[in-house]
Amino acid sequence: MISLRNIKKSYFIGERELPILKGIDLEIKNGEFIILMGVSGSGKTTLMNIVGLLDKQTEGEYKFMDVTINGLDDEKLAAMRNLHIGFVFQQFFLLPYLNAIENVLIPIVYSSKQIKHPREKAKALLGRFGLSERIHNKPSQLSGGEQQRVAIARALINEPDLILADEPTGALDSKTGGEIMDLFQMLNDEGKTVIVVTHDPKLASFGKRLIRIEDGTISEDITR
Amino acid sequence: MGLFQKISQGREFLEEILKILYYYRGRVIFSFAGVALGILSICIIITTIDGANKKAKDIFEALGPDSIMVWGIGERQRTARVRGSTLTLIDAEHLEKIEGIYDSVKTYYARRPTMKYKDRKWQSRIIGSTINYFESMSWEFQVGSPFNEDDYKNAKAVCVIGSKVYDELFLGEDAIGKVILADRLPITVVGVLKEKGGGTGGPQIDDRVIMPLTTVMGRVVNDRKYLSGVRLKTNRDVNGTVEDVRAVLRRNHGLPDSAEDDFTIRSSQDIMKFVTVISGQLLLFLGMASIVALVVSGFVLANLFYLTIQERRKDIGIRRAYGASKRGILLSFLFESVIITLLGGVAGILLSLALGGTFETLFEIPMLFSYKVVVFALMFSFVTGLLAGFRPALKASRIEPIEAIRG
Repeated sequence: MISLRNIKKSYFIGERELPILKGIDLEIKNGEFIILMGVSGSGKTTLMNIVGLLDKQTEGEYKFMDVTINGLDDEKLAAMRNLHIGFVFQQFFLLPYLNAIENVLIPIVYSSKQIKHPREKAKALLGRFGLSERIHNKPSQLSGGEQQRVAIARALINEPDLILADEPTGALDSKTGGEIMDLFQMLNDEGKTVIVVTHDPKLASFGKRLIRIEDGTISEDITR
Repeated sequence: MGLFQKISQGREFLEEILKILYYYRGRVIFSFAGVALGILSICIIITTIDGANKKAKDIFEALGPDSIMVWGIGERQRTARVRGSTLTLIDAEHLEKIEGIYDSVKTYYARRPTMKYKDRKWQSRIIGSTINYFESMSWEFQVGSPFNEDDYKNAKAVCVIGSKVYDELFLGEDAIGKVILADRLPITVVGVLKEKGGGTGGPQIDDRVIMPLTTVMGRVVNDRKYLSGVRLKTNRDVNGTVEDVRAVLRRNHGLPDSAEDDFTIRSSQDIMKFVTVISGQLLLFLGMASIVALVVSGFVLANLFYLTIQERRKDIGIRRAYGASKRGILLSFLFESVIITLLGGVAGILLSLALGGTFETLFEIPMLFSYKVVVFALMFSFVTGLLAGFRPALKASRIEPIEAIRG
């Protein structure tokens, strides 16, 4: 599903080149549950952005779903993100003027995929995550854990192949964080590919594969 | 590729935009109100100009393009509301002999006596005129006919009444041959006019009693010399005829070259010109006002929008991550601003409909609403939204998702 060949990424500050990723080779197959671990500044977020089609590598070849990403334009990248990737972020990023169900529906506005009954589907997803009573609440009326579950429902509405979560437990207490990780486990059990990016060593016990990033390279890659 | 392919779920898209507008209503209201005011004035301009033109056309058609009206009172006395006339019967006879004049209606506006029929009373204006009055004014009869040659020559007390007078005095009864009392003079009704209604002369147009000129001058007012006015029709060049009329009257009245006219001449062209000038001034004044209002509200909208975008970076980042392309973002922000201005435009149209009546009675300018007004107003508001929204929308579309999400 994901194939990275010698991926390099540098930022330029004036004339000075600041390498972030120094040649990453990585294969990810369908159905994996990966914890991508690294301290801040290690390059893990940059790697996630490239994998999630939000950023472009400086060098190297990236194939996603057997499509070579290198030359794709903004429209195509946007369409691929929409159809294949569900993002979950540390700060949830729910839109304040929309209620839970409407937040879940955001991806379908830009989607070429015709979902027959989007509202019913969003309702069902929220129900599954124990939020049946909360579907008309605004984000400000929800707890952190509830907001993150709404965000996960939003990531799932378009039935993506890949779930990309960036520090999904970072803003939650450890008990709620554990519940969110269990939820990812459940989705993985149903066949979704899940990548969780984190700096939190406590999350190392989750997932089937642990990849450690250090100073722009993969320092450890363990499959359990 | 159509832009709309970027946004496939129209209903959700629109719902979202309305929610965004509601969320930011504190700011949206300014742009909205500005556009509404601008559109309001545009509506008023268009309707009044249409109305004024229609009025001019109505007057023109009612009078005929070849009419010349002469009143026996100068411009200055008219504005000072001085009564009395300088136009004599002899003047009128001379005027009728001018080359090209083929029709002449002499009128005498008498005072307003109280008319009585049975126990009903009504105060109405008495007009003395010639037999051709009705035909010349293209006035049709409900029943009866004009007074005849015999009535005119012998100054008989007969009259034709307007529909308003008929309604007030007869309440649907047959009026022909009935006698009404004008103060103490009994007058026999020989005809009832059809209603002309508002439009050309206001509602008073149907409130009149027309009698033979001879009767009015001899038996109602006892003035055998002066007329109120004459309406002439010419088959010659109108302006040339006007000059002849002026020359005849100045000579008859013995005015020295230095004196002003002690009478007033108006051709139907003059009336047309007058209305055109008024509507031109209106266009200038209100046109400027509305353009200023629209430009200001456009700037307000653009600036508030621009500020909002900084605040909505995360919002934009999320949408980009979830599959909105740059063009999708551009389009949705443009939509937002166009919806604000279109709503403002609709409000402006409704306001102008509501205020139209007040405006009409206040300034005595008729307003004519048409689909044209709606089309113009919506077009203007659409363009305002597009222009004002473009730069902010472009800025929004250039926000990179990773930057927006990171911080």
